[in-house]
Amino acid sequence: MNQFGVLLKKEWRENLRNYKLFWIPAVFILLGIMEPVSNYFLPQILDSVGNLPEGTVLEFPEPEPEQVMAAIMGQYQLLGLLIFVLAYMGTIAGERKSGTATLLYARPLSFSAYFMSKWVMATIIALLSVWLGFLAGYYYTYLLFGSIDFMNLMRFGLTYSFWILLVISIILAASALMPNAGLAAAVSLGIIFISQLVDGLLGTYWPISPLKLPAYAASWFENGLDMSDFWWSVSLTFMLIVLLVVIGILISAKKAASTKV
Amino acid sequence: MSLLEVKELTKSYNGILAVDHVSFTLEERTATALIGPNGSGKTTTISMIAGLLKESEGSIHREFNSGIGFLPQYPQFFPWLSALEFTEMAAQISGVDAKKVRQQSIRTLEFVGLGSAVNKKTGTFSGGMRQRLGLAQAIVHQPKLLLLDEPVSALDPTGRREIMDLLKSLQQDATILYSTHILNDAEEMTDQLLFLKEGKLVEQGSLSEVKSRYAEPLIRLRFDTEQAAALFESRKFWPMQRDRNVIALPISDEGPSMQQVMAVLAKEESGIAGIDKQSASLEEIFLKVAGKK
Repeated sequence: MNQFGVLLKKEWRENLRNYKLFWIPAVFILLGIMEPVSNYFLPQILDSVGNLPEGTVLEFPEPEPEQVMAAIMGQYQLLGLLIFVLAYMGTIAGERKSGTATLLYARPLSFSAYFMSKWVMATIIALLSVWLGFLAGYYYTYLLFGSIDFMNLMRFGLTYSFWILLVISIILAASALMPNAGLAAAVSLGIIFISQLVDGLLGTYWPISPLKLPAYAASWFENGLDMSDFWWSVSLTFMLIVLLVVIGILISAKKAASTKV
Repeated sequence: MSLLEVKELTKSYNGILAVDHVSFTLEERTATALIGPNGSGKTTTISMIAGLLKESEGSIHREFNSGIGFLPQYPQFFPWLSALEFTEMAAQISGVDAKKVRQQSIRTLEFVGLGSAVNKKTGTFSGGMRQRLGLAQAIVHQPKLLLLDEPVSALDPTGRREIMDLLKSLQQDATILYSTHILNDAEEMTDQLLFLKEGKLVEQGSLSEVKSRYAEPLIRLRFDTEQAAALFESRKFWPMQRDRNVIALPISDEGPSMQQVMAVLAKEESGIAGIDKQSASLEEIFLKVAGKK
């Protein structure tokens, strides 16, 4: 077995035995289900716990199924991304800090295989979680609010998956760069959330941006998607992912000396 | 034949020299003990040879292509992997033939005394078991050079004895460079001594060479009776120390030579019962070198 295969097997065992393979998808499924269910039962929930004055009448327009799916994505954009950062912030920095990487680095290790094995495993779990969450969420959305065009649902999921690949690449590159997991988390959260904030405030000036992929994903349910902007954003995201992976590999090798001996 | 040649090896951190122009060679199938006080640069030297640290200056020339076996002072393992899984992974990354990986890993674990714990998770291992596993991962690919950083310092006397015996048996097939501050171990298994102090190599040579350089031989004169010893002491030939019927007499360039002592003993009716010659221990040399400015 080549080094990539050996290291991927190690990552698989790690994610299986520390239960990341189970708890991360479970949280995403839960988030996916909660959105349509809580939307559907919102009047009853408010009625029982809302502490509203007697006689209050609230009318809620029933959301479209597409809006519910976009709201699930909104949950993932905050809680989901935070979970990914917390789960993978120590992937490389933590191994160096604890010294578990030392016995690997003292061998003729291919750092491409080392970084890629971690990237592939984190990506598999992240995409599995997002898709299982979307499918579970869609099942309840379908039951409670009605169906969505299947192709649009696929386009929505695929566009958002691209954004998730970028997020995972940012987290792993930060983990390679930073001396410990805490700083890796701070840098990842800073990049992901602050850039989204800036894009939210000033983003009308640049329609081509990887940060717009979540918005473009939701736009598949509407008719206003500019395909040129979309494809340029996807291409830019792809290039950024490649760049982050290359940087991650180079920095992992360069910072190998900082492992605890 | 030399297996590894280190020339003017230097490591500096922000201008502070952790290792300062160190040069030595390791001959094939020999054991070299790297000794020195804490912070003298032992771990940094070993880390550079292991390829974990880049040298600031100097060179390391290897006369072999196969891998190095490295055991850090406190080896850390992935706690969710079993001993066999970890050893197999170490063997595979080191390029052991895929067909031989399982067999070689099991054989190595049995060799280090972990035959009954191959499927146990490393997270449950005691300190002694971790050290054994550390040794197993270092030798599973049968390297020509073994680098061991304080291999037995964390072990109890029994564990230390067992690991030292394992290391001695490995010497037949591999060249060993190990750091230690347990000087009994260094005396027990060494063909060459390297003494580091503040990053500099201050002593180098075989155990007997180093001992002879620092020898401050002491002879112990054993008399038949305490009175005979007291009488000899009272004659004040040279500075000496008496403990009952035994007199300790340092021999040096300034003091008496062995011949002079023998001549006096032959002339006097001293009642001498025996003479023991004793040279400085490695611990005495260590203290002397470590304290030397």
